[in-house]
Amino acid sequence: MAQASNAAERAKQSNRKVALVALSLALGMLGLGYASVPLYRIFCQVTGYGGTTKRVDAAQAASVVDSGRMMSVRFDANTARDMPWEFKPLQVKDSVSIGVRDMALFWAKNDSDKPITGTASFNVEPEQAAKYFNKIQCFCFTEQTLQPGEEVRMPVLYYIDPAILDDPDNKDVAEITLSYTFHLTSVGDAKTLDQNNTGG
Amino acid sequence: MATTAEQFQGHAEDHGHDHDHKPAFFARWFMSTNHKDIGTMYLIFAILAGVIGGAVSGIMRAELMEPGIQYLGFFSKLVGDDPSNFNATLHMWNVLITAHGLIMVFFMVMPAIIGGFGNWFVPIMIGAPDMAFPRMNNISFWLTVAGFCSLMLSAFVPGGTGMGAGTGWTVYAPLSTTGSPGPAVDFGIFALHLAGAGSIMGAINFITTIFNMRAPGMTMHKMPLFVWSVLVTAFLLLLSLPVLAAAITMLLTDRNFGTTFFDPAGGGDPVLYQHLFWFFGHPEVYIMILPGFGIISQIISTFSKKPVFGYLGMAYAMVAIGVVGFIVWAHHMYSTGLSVNTKMYFTAATMVIAVPTGIKIFSWIATMWGGSIEFKSPMIWAIGFIFLFTVGGVTGVVLANGGVDDVMHDTYYVVAHFHYVLSLGAVTALFAGFYYWFPKMSGKMHSELLAHVHFWVFFVGVNMIFFPMHFLGLQGMPRRYPDYAEAYAYWNHFATVGYMIMAASLGIWFLNIIYAFVAGRKAEDNYWGEGATTLEWTLTSPPPYHQFETLPVIEETAHH
Amino acid sequence: MKSGTYASTVSQSARALGLSLASVIAVAATPAFAQDTASAPAAAETAAAAGGYTPMTPTPGVGMPVAEGIGLQQQYSKIGEYGAWIHNGVLMPIITLICILVLLLLIVVAVRYNRRSNPVASKTSHNTLIEVIWTLVPVLILIGIAVPSIDLIAKQYKPAPKGALTIKVTGNQWFWTYGYPDNGDFEVVSNMLNPVTGPTINNGIRKVGSEPWDGPSHLEVDNRMVVPAGEPIRLQITASDVIHSFAVPSLWFKLDAVPGRINEKVLLIEKPGVYYGQCSELCGAKHGYMPIAVEALPRDKYDAWVMTHPGAKIDNPNAAAGSETDYLPGEEPAGAAPAADASAAPAAAEAE
Repeated sequence: MAQASNAAERAKQSNRKVALVALSLALGMLGLGYASVPLYRIFCQVTGYGGTTKRVDAAQAASVVDSGRMMSVRFDANTARDMPWEFKPLQVKDSVSIGVRDMALFWAKNDSDKPITGTASFNVEPEQAAKYFNKIQCFCFTEQTLQPGEEVRMPVLYYIDPAILDDPDNKDVAEITLSYTFHLTSVGDAKTLDQNNTGG
Repeated sequence: MATTAEQFQGHAEDHGHDHDHKPAFFARWFMSTNHKDIGTMYLIFAILAGVIGGAVSGIMRAELMEPGIQYLGFFSKLVGDDPSNFNATLHMWNVLITAHGLIMVFFMVMPAIIGGFGNWFVPIMIGAPDMAFPRMNNISFWLTVAGFCSLMLSAFVPGGTGMGAGTGWTVYAPLSTTGSPGPAVDFGIFALHLAGAGSIMGAINFITTIFNMRAPGMTMHKMPLFVWSVLVTAFLLLLSLPVLAAAITMLLTDRNFGTTFFDPAGGGDPVLYQHLFWFFGHPEVYIMILPGFGIISQIISTFSKKPVFGYLGMAYAMVAIGVVGFIVWAHHMYSTGLSVNTKMYFTAATMVIAVPTGIKIFSWIATMWGGSIEFKSPMIWAIGFIFLFTVGGVTGVVLANGGVDDVMHDTYYVVAHFHYVLSLGAVTALFAGFYYWFPKMSGKMHSELLAHVHFWVFFVGVNMIFFPMHFLGLQGMPRRYPDYAEAYAYWNHFATVGYMIMAASLGIWFLNIIYAFVAGRKAEDNYWGEGATTLEWTLTSPPPYHQFETLPVIEETAHH
Repeated sequence: MKSGTYASTVSQSARALGLSLASVIAVAATPAFAQDTASAPAAAETAAAAGGYTPMTPTPGVGMPVAEGIGLQQQYSKIGEYGAWIHNGVLMPIITLICILVLLLLIVVAVRYNRRSNPVASKTSHNTLIEVIWTLVPVLILIGIAVPSIDLIAKQYKPAPKGALTIKVTGNQWFWTYGYPDNGDFEVVSNMLNPVTGPTINNGIRKVGSEPWDGPSHLEVDNRMVVPAGEPIRLQITASDVIHSFAVPSLWFKLDAVPGRINEKVLLIEKPGVYYGQCSELCGAKHGYMPIAVEALPRDKYDAWVMTHPGAKIDNPNAAAGSETDYLPGEEPAGAAPAADASAAPAAAEAE
């Protein structure tokens, strides 16, 4: 009898062990689910996946050399539906020398009667060119606030990495588009409750 | 399959007495810890949910019978919408498609095939007295019920343009976040949390039971294929559901607490939600079909009076399907703007799944080959399954091609495909399992005649519903549309007629259940005869409240 | 009637087959898409250039679903013809044969191995040879499918050549807007026409059929997306609120409109016509009521349409085209377009 209950106790413990292993697998997957957000962001930044551009500082930018080959760059601007701004590129497209720094200007105007803060999301098409698209300075790095009726010109300082010329995936790419979309972050001086802990 | 019924005939009689110490009604059914009672409750719940989900699809088919909007206004008024608000009327359609999808996936197929048949027969088939954690088993069930209630409630609270959650079962952001203000979507997400938590607990329970509680001699490679299928399914649940839980929790915080996981305004990406959802969603379709594979294997072997052909191949084909199922998710996202290399990879990886699936189809046929087949009702349903699943499977190969999917994606072709593998696949397997085990569970024989009539009427009905959907999809009709161009009218009308036939077949099924309880003769222990060799056939019908108080010993046999 | 429809689909795909077969063989990324048809009619009809624009009357059965149809819509792009060939010529025969094979095996089994004809069951449960065969044969079939399929994907992703006209598509709840950045950046708002019976879908929009050029109900819009035929167009697609999907079945085109980013793909319509599509990603209440109508015009008529918009200007893709890309060798400067206007000119600068 004692032996039997011992065996039952052992079985229970062994059951608990298997269940704990299974539970930790499930919890691990749950953690991975959350971790996917930063991991996905890093993945996009490293590989250019999803059209994510590279961000470089001036020192890095100084080391690139002019390849002498030209590339056409197109600029695109959008606003989310609830964003009361006008937002346009000041040049539809530009022809730049690969490896040379260039500046593009965007123009925005707050059409509403309240101060509006916005942030811009961006991507590059064709996607495979994104990892060679380097931004040194961009209005999209920070939030922008416009007073009622205020208009601004916003610069993007960028260059295209000459390594794009050696990438077979990019051999057919004749024109790269840099696209921005401005989203409403907050209205007025006080920030609205949501959307203020942005990921960047 | 590893043993023969005769070996345990005598053994079962030991337990064939009626003094089983069953608890009183409330304790037995509401605080149940008995795997058979919980299995029964799961089955009854699944039938109820299936009737509701089926009725929802009936409303949808009625609306689609002709172009224009006919019935949506009535139902939108029913849940409290303003009838003069046309957007609310149209929103009702999105609520219906969402409810149909969620109910059928989470509250019909999964509870029936895993909670119902899994609970009933996995412990018996491996010679265990019960599940490893009987009380957790009970919690799993009631969490599922609570989830269903939450989903039903969501229809009566505001969800944006009208009452109820109208996001589709995929709950894509940003339609489900900024696009659907109001608590309905929160209720829907909560429903998924509850059902998901219940399923994860169930999965842990099955894994522990199968690893730890097999009777002496029941090695892994002697387990019946149904047990194998539930084991693989449990792992899929365990690994995929937490990812869904994470994704929908992030949706919830995006909706209510100002986070921007999937909102581009804060640096999030709506496409990431789709990656997470389908990382769960693709294994989910195997969760629904793999136990069906297991049931079909048992039935084919029983009625061919032969052991399953290529047992190891069959078991490991399921493992392979499960593993590969985790690395093909983005084939649901071909049109989201994936890069060319991504699309090529997912095309190739997806096609790989056809290989283990093919092994299963051919092994079933090889099991029948050389057999002495009796066409009893479960066998008819199983043969129907093989054919219908093949048709659904090959259109999956078509859809796997990323380039071809550019014209198929989100059309009725996709609807036809997944209903062939699920509605005509998983559900057919469920009916096969039902007729196979119903007398074992209830102790009463159903009518074979009615079961055969049920099959043929159902077969004609579902094919009439879903086959023309291939045509509609090829012609370009998008899914999730309440209204359509005149050119699509003919096949839509045809499909709705098919629905009526299918619905009639369900009437025959219910009639058969009533017949069994009222006039059905008593089922013997092994009413299918010599081909039925797994352990459930060594027990009485219905089995004693507590089985295997002395564990059966499985002896070495010459073959699998 | 039904079989008739199908037969015509088959014969059309058979016509496409010659060309497509060639491109399968040339798996390398060589310019398999020889451009031969499209530019010819354009030259013939230069006269209409000056005057305004009257919407084109669609041809029944072209660019739209046909009643009781059971096959793919007739395709009007090279990609579409290739894709339709893969579907009709490769996939359909294979999957039909597999289904018939399984059905036949089931019938044979049912006839030969039922209880009456075979009272004693064999106990065979292994046969290594047959198991290897039914593993390897499907692998070979799948490889056979994968070769053209992967090639199709590669072709679909070929970037647009330099100077290709860019058109911007934006999905909104529940209408489409089409921007023409290369033509002075005007914008076209496109709403579905109201059905003749039933409630008003879009306030202030006329009913379908009230103009002679209106196409089918549920598919026709007030302002179509007008594009030039016979030249590659760079479509850039985004959304302003939730995800939509820009889909035109007869052009083998479907790409999601995702808010916060653009997606890009090349569209090349072989001949003038009106091609209908519908939003293909659930986007809320009126998801079913935001169709897409693409009107492809010869270049000169397209330019004339462009000039009906205030502030519009004519782009000149061919003059700007460098020869860096071999996308469409036959197409290059086919007769040169009329007014030249450097498309890179900073027209928007005066907005300052």
